Amino acid sequence: MFRLRILGRYLHSEILVLPARVLALVFIAALLVLPLFSGDSYLLMVLILTAIFTMYAVSWDLLAGYAGQISLGHALFFGVGAYTAALLNTKLGLSPAFGIPLGAVTAMTSGLLVGVPCLRLRRHYLALATLAFPLMLTGIVFAFPEFTGGELGIYAITRLAATRVVEYYIAIGTMLLVVALLWKLTTSRVGLIFHAIREDEVVVRALGIDTIRYKLLAFMVSGLVAGLSGALYAHFLRTAGPSNLDLFMSFHPVIWTIFGGAATIYGPVTGVFLLFPALEYLRAVPEYRMLIFALLILLVLRLLPGGLAPWIRDRLEKQCPNCRMNNAFVRSTCRACRSQLTP
Amino acid sequence: MAEGLRVQGLSVSYGPALIVHEVDLEVGAGATVSVVGPNGAGKTTVLRALSGLVLWEKSSSRQAGVQLVGEVWFGQERVDHLPAHQIASRGLILCPERRRPFREMTVEENLQAGAYLVRSRKVAQQRMAEVCRLFPVLRERGRQRAGTLSGGEQQMLAIGRALMGGPKLLMIDEPSTGLAPLVKQPLFARIREIKTLGIGILLVEQDAELALSMADSGYVLSQGRVVAQGSPAELLADEVVRRSYLGL
Repeated sequence: MFRLRILGRYLHSEILVLPARVLALVFIAALLVLPLFSGDSYLLMVLILTAIFTMYAVSWDLLAGYAGQISLGHALFFGVGAYTAALLNTKLGLSPAFGIPLGAVTAMTSGLLVGVPCLRLRRHYLALATLAFPLMLTGIVFAFPEFTGGELGIYAITRLAATRVVEYYIAIGTMLLVVALLWKLTTSRVGLIFHAIREDEVVVRALGIDTIRYKLLAFMVSGLVAGLSGALYAHFLRTAGPSNLDLFMSFHPVIWTIFGGAATIYGPVTGVFLLFPALEYLRAVPEYRMLIFALLILLVLRLLPGGLAPWIRDRLEKQCPNCRMNNAFVRSTCRACRSQLTP
Repeated sequence: MAEGLRVQGLSVSYGPALIVHEVDLEVGAGATVSVVGPNGAGKTTVLRALSGLVLWEKSSSRQAGVQLVGEVWFGQERVDHLPAHQIASRGLILCPERRRPFREMTVEENLQAGAYLVRSRKVAQQRMAEVCRLFPVLRERGRQRAGTLSGGEQQMLAIGRALMGGPKLLMIDEPSTGLAPLVKQPLFARIREIKTLGIGILLVEQDAELALSMADSGYVLSQGRVVAQGSPAELLADEVVRRSYLGL
């Protein structure tokens, strides 16, 4: 009873005061209760893939948005996760419960392997260099077709779980956990250092911070999360193939993140949850599908260069000019210092 | 505690261009030393070399043909071969040219980033209070983005950020660049106050009169060489130095 009251007070003073937080809470609750109201298998499939790609996009946001290490070869980590889980499952008979974490860890190691040679590169040079890594892995995949399945890929992988609803909860649960952990990371001291490295690496070094360690950390955590999403993807679709490594796969997280708002974590979440289902449901008009999709993205980028999610947040909340506390848009006085808010 | 800095025969060249040539320099423990001289004399390069940034450029091959020779001793330790972050952790901290705040971060976050070397949270809070006492405007603007500050405020932030790391010797590069005389004066008054905290200062500055007026000793750098050194009074009284190098 007492605990409930604490929870209630927390809800009242920390969550309900800001519309953006309310929105996030409603969104999470809706995701969690959705299968109780709809058993539509297609809808669940779309949402499972959306959740998986959300992790993928958020991992890119951590590396590129926060730490400023623009990667255009992010599919490498996704593919390493997918192939590792697929091979462990089909060759060694490992269950998804072991194969998926191992796939993620292997992708983390590949993050380290990519990070080391890329440490000396910056901005567009780095972006171009990272572009090469998934191509290299594709080459390896095609070089050993007996082992990797070559062009056809690996199929008949064990299903993620017995029923669609269980698969849904695994995907959504993992996604919520991963997003929460990365949010925590980016608002911590480590996140502050990532941000500082993005702005001016030389100054960060001059302040006594070993930027190499932090850049490698960003590569590893990002690789881990991207690999996790890749492994989940392989077990959900029951196949892993070279398309997991192609250019589209590398560019998707970039589009989702920039559309939603980079260096925010909630931005890529918004981006994927709007764009992925949109692209899926646009299959109803196949001949205009890509055209509408591209126009939608162009419009948002043209009108809201900071991304969609930060724009929405700025409509829902305003900052107090005096103490810089955020307030709901309906308030006329600041909730902390009671000073007048400009309309 | 403050420690002394001793530089012997420091030379830096970028490809065929010799930027700093055989510079000898000494800063006693807790002393304030000003390095003055005309544009392009190599003053900034000296500080970049001392703080390990030249070496960083060399190792990261961002610049072709970077050469650095000479010895740098800080306290009892030779530091010229150390990477930049380790030099800073010894207490030899640079406040860089053009201030270079993290523009998108708040003032408070900038200061927190500077406190990386401070392991204890309590000490970090004390430092923060100290820095805000020195520069009250940083507390007022705490939650404002650093990019929105005025030039003078950004310079205070840059110095405050460097102070957060607990320097034994603070190297300040051209703090007066682009500042109006009205802003310069109070800023240098603050730097004088840092002196009284027992922190050594190595100040590189174009405004020779202002920089020398607060120093214990001074060096005049021109075309990469030390062309004169001595007490500020001597340097400012030397007619040749005044006319040829300081433009006074």
